[in-house]
Amino acid sequence: MRINQRGYTSAAPLTTSNSYCVDRFSISTSTAGGFSSYQSTVAPVGFTNSLFYTKTTGATVAAGELNFIYQPIEGYNTYDLAWGTANAKTITLSFWVYAGATGTFSGSVRNTTATLYAYPFTYTVSAANTWTQISVTIAGPTVGTWATDNTAGLNIFFDLGSGSTYKGTAGAWVAGNYVGATGATTYPVSTTGGTFYLTGVQLEVGTVATPFERRQYGQELMLCQRYYQIIIMNAQSPAANYMSTPFYGTTAMRSIPTMAQISAGSPSLASIASVVANSTQPSGYFQILATAVNGYVLGASYSGSSEL
Amino acid sequence: MYTNAQYIAQGGVNVAIRCNINGVTSFVPLDPANTDYANIMALVDAGELTIAPAEGE
Repeated sequence: MRINQRGYTSAAPLTTSNSYCVDRFSISTSTAGGFSSYQSTVAPVGFTNSLFYTKTTGATVAAGELNFIYQPIEGYNTYDLAWGTANAKTITLSFWVYAGATGTFSGSVRNTTATLYAYPFTYTVSAANTWTQISVTIAGPTVGTWATDNTAGLNIFFDLGSGSTYKGTAGAWVAGNYVGATGATTYPVSTTGGTFYLTGVQLEVGTVATPFERRQYGQELMLCQRYYQIIIMNAQSPAANYMSTPFYGTTAMRSIPTMAQISAGSPSLASIASVVANSTQPSGYFQILATAVNGYVLGASYSGSSEL
Repeated sequence: MYTNAQYIAQGGVNVAIRCNINGVTSFVPLDPANTDYANIMALVDAGELTIAPAEGE
C-alpha cells in the first residue's frame, strides 16, 4: 500500500464509490451513509502504510447491496495458475487486517467472465484494533473461464459488509457472483465510524504463505504505472490557433489509457482543447487552443488510466 | 458516472470520446480493452447514454 499516485490522505480522502484509492485497490460501496478511504500510516511491524476505510454513517445492509475492497489481477499475470483446467494450481492469499471490531469477516476470489465462479472465504478477527495476519489457501478451480490476456484474470474481494445476495458458502467453488461468505459480519459498513485497515496483501502459488516479498519502491511504482500514471503536459502555439504537441508516458500500459485532468496547469492566452492517447506506450497528443501568438499551457497534469 | 459524452475527431475521423467521469473531464480512447470505453458502449447499448457527434475541427 506504499504506492498512492492518486494522493488520497486523511485530509483529502476518497469518498466516491467504484474508484481506486491506493494503487490497484478499488472501493465499491452501494450502502447509504458515505465512506472515506485513504493511504494510512497505521501499519504492522515491517510495513509503513495500509489502506484505510471508514464508514461515515452506519446503515442496515440490504440483501442486494455490495460493499468491498477489491483488486482485479490481469490475466497475463495469472495465466500460469491454469485455472479452469484439470491442472489448476492451489494458491495462498495472505494479508494483514486491523478492524475496529471482532468477528467473522470474509472475502472471495472470483472470475470476471460471463459465467461467474467464486470461492468465498472467511477469517476471524479475534482482537479489535490489533493487526492480525490472515492466510487463506484455495485449491484452484477446474471449472470456469479464467482470462489469460490483458483483461481481468481474477478478482480478489475483501468484503466490507455486502448483502446476502452476494454472499455464498465459504470454502468451496460455487457458480455465482459472490464477494463474501454467508454469515460473515456486515462490519464496518453497518457501524457509524466502523474502521478497517488492510495491508501486506500477497497472492502466491502453493499452500504456504511465505514472508511478504519486499520490492524496491521504483519497481513497485512501475508495476502500478501499467494501470495508472500521471503525465505532465506543456504546449505553446506560434499562432492564434489550435496547436498539438506529443506526450509520452513512462511505462507501457495495459490498454490505451483514459486521460483525465488533475490540474489545468498555468495557461496564458490559451485553453486545453483535448488530450488524446493513441497507444499503450502510452503516447498521444495534447492540443491547446491559443487566442494569441505564443499562447501556452504549462504544467497541465493528467492521469492516464488503463485500470481493469 | 459517465456524462456529457461527445466524440473528438481528427482529420474527420473519431479518435476519442470526451466525457465527464465522476465529474472530471476525461478523454476516453476508442479501445475495446479500455474499461471506460467498454463501460460507455455498454451504457450506449442500454440506451442510457448518448454520444454527441464531434464538432467541426
